[in-house]
Amino acid sequence: MSTLSKFRFGLAGLAALAAIGTAGRAAAEDVTLQYWVYSDFGEGDALRLQQEFIKEFTAKHPGVTIDIVAKGDDDLTAGQVAGAASGNLPDVFMNAQSVGAQLVEVRALDNIYSKWMAMPESFRAQFDQDALKGCMPKPDELYCLPYTGFGSLLFRNLTVLEKAGVDTSKPPATWDEWFAQMKKVKDAGMYAIPDETLVFNSIAEIYATSGSTESWGFDWANKKTKIDPAIMAKVLKKFVDMKPLSSGTSRNDQATKDLFISNQLAFHTVGPWVNPTYEEAAKASGLKYDFTLIPGDEPGKTGGIRSYEMVGVAPGPHADLAFEFAAYLTEKAQMARWAKLLSRYNANAAAMADPEVAALPLIKVSVDAAHGAMDVAAPYFGGSVPSCYNSEVIDMASATADGQHTPEEGAKELVSQLNDCLAQ
Amino acid sequence: MPLRRLLPHYLMIAPFMILFAVFFLYPILSGLYYSFHAWNGVTKPEYLGFANYQKIVLSRDFATAMRNLLTYVAITVPLGVLVALGLALLVDSFVGRWANFFRNAYFMPVVLPAFLAATIWRWIYAPNFGLLNMIIGWFGAQSINFLNDTGTMLYALIAVDVWVSAGFNMIIILAGLKEIPAELYEAARLDGANKRQQIVHITIPMLGPVLFFVVTYGLISAMQVFDKPWLLTGSSFTSYGGRRNALLFPVMDMMGRAFGGVRFGEAAAYGFLLTLAIVLLTAAMFGLRRLKGWA
Repeated sequence: MSTLSKFRFGLAGLAALAAIGTAGRAAAEDVTLQYWVYSDFGEGDALRLQQEFIKEFTAKHPGVTIDIVAKGDDDLTAGQVAGAASGNLPDVFMNAQSVGAQLVEVRALDNIYSKWMAMPESFRAQFDQDALKGCMPKPDELYCLPYTGFGSLLFRNLTVLEKAGVDTSKPPATWDEWFAQMKKVKDAGMYAIPDETLVFNSIAEIYATSGSTESWGFDWANKKTKIDPAIMAKVLKKFVDMKPLSSGTSRNDQATKDLFISNQLAFHTVGPWVNPTYEEAAKASGLKYDFTLIPGDEPGKTGGIRSYEMVGVAPGPHADLAFEFAAYLTEKAQMARWAKLLSRYNANAAAMADPEVAALPLIKVSVDAAHGAMDVAAPYFGGSVPSCYNSEVIDMASATADGQHTPEEGAKELVSQLNDCLAQ
Repeated sequence: MPLRRLLPHYLMIAPFMILFAVFFLYPILSGLYYSFHAWNGVTKPEYLGFANYQKIVLSRDFATAMRNLLTYVAITVPLGVLVALGLALLVDSFVGRWANFFRNAYFMPVVLPAFLAATIWRWIYAPNFGLLNMIIGWFGAQSINFLNDTGTMLYALIAVDVWVSAGFNMIIILAGLKEIPAELYEAARLDGANKRQQIVHITIPMLGPVLFFVVTYGLISAMQVFDKPWLLTGSSFTSYGGRRNALLFPVMDMMGRAFGGVRFGEAAAYGFLLTLAIVLLTAAMFGLRRLKGWA
């Protein structure tokens, strides 16, 4: 072999080695993203649509695989906190904005502000501004993209109301009208409403009939509650009045849904996630129901709460790609498909304004409900809410409804207890 | 003994020792280390001495959780063993198909997932129209809110716990009953002993070691009670323990501090306090066993 041939052979060998090396690098660039979602996103139609989103995204990103993992509420938080501690976080994940502070504290959430600002204005303008503010504790900090959400609704059993002699053609416009209907239902021998003092969110829903986000939630700077004792006293009085009319079950109990379906319960204040169950019952057993806004103290004011689920991105080598996927999921086209399939409200205002989406009855009411509702635990990302906070609210509401305190005493004592709890 | 001869033995126990060291010893020792530190799972631990232990012991929730635990253990363990013993004696009195039927029926709650058991019992306890309240209503009594009345919540939990654990304990006791020689009963009958005397003077003494196991295991399990009160009260990391913390127990409090408050150092200290209590109780049980000559 001549020197030139040897040289050529050597070059070819180097080229082959380089090719192998490149191929090796390409293989090494294959990325698998872990995507954690709530358990209801991991089954049925919701899962199929999520898988479709994943398929579309990965088709545009060769070498990228996305594994979707569904988890229950507490498992999701525990897994993310433990994952942050062990350095094994999911790349993209859902959770409630209300646990955002814990996740930032354990560094499970990346500050995506610069990535967000690098997105076109047409993308950034799509989101509900209140929901977006919930992800931004400071002007240059953004820890999540607002994703799905809800505004609580008043589900009405029309059969029960008709039996009680209530005109069902127009929903109650004020608390007084609503309460009068509740009393008629009880007089007719049925249950008006679940016990609204048993769950923090149902207490908040009723508080919102008199109060608003400004008089609820936390003043993190001074570690004090923003609950107004005068409004709380008014709300506690409502719990006292509702007590004899209630079924004794909480809004989340299976028994509550069963009572509603079996025409023994007139009202159920809850999020839109119960609608598939009631829709099924309407088909199977002829349940007659509708959903409307929770009436407030004055005409035009609504009660209820709103809350958003967020999609967050973990810091790490895949953070850019993970953000790209999160942005794809929350973008108008995907969110409109999501809303159309499940009739569920979400935080993409542009998708909610899509004529086909806006025409869906549950979406239409949900949009109005979310606009008039109170943020359930705002401001988010300010601090971790101690467990004593929710417990004190539930305990005092139940105790006052049971007659252990007057509403005024209860409200005063509650505010003092909540301030002590936050100061711990 | 020369090391060469011992080496195969060490090699044979090595897999267990390695797994034990990795999955038990290391977590325990690192937990002990973190219990003396402020640590959120991510940042550098900050040494606090005994501050975590002090904070827990002085907290109102700890006192409530311990008070609930003491009442719960004092009732659920003896009651659970008594019910299991009764069921075992009942099942033992049957033979063939019926024995199998009752054994399986009583064991079923043990294999039922906890969330399903909790859902069933939430229905049974539901105020106004729940099964129990319907029965109470037949006697003209007022409806009771079993899971929201602080006077009844603990007893409602104990009933669920006994329902679940009785089947497991029954199987253990039943196995012990089968080991008692039939001649002893035969001799007792010839001496004129009635059924009650046979149980008191033969069955229970002969079941001593089995009952020791059942009671000790029951105590250790009861000290770590978590899933049933968590599910019955619809708890989450942001709110747990039910009304007025009537169903707050140490493991729930520990989990809340760890995952709700992201205070892992404090949660580790809580775990060690609980472990200490369990070790002391178990040691007391073993001391009692030696005293009674069951060893």
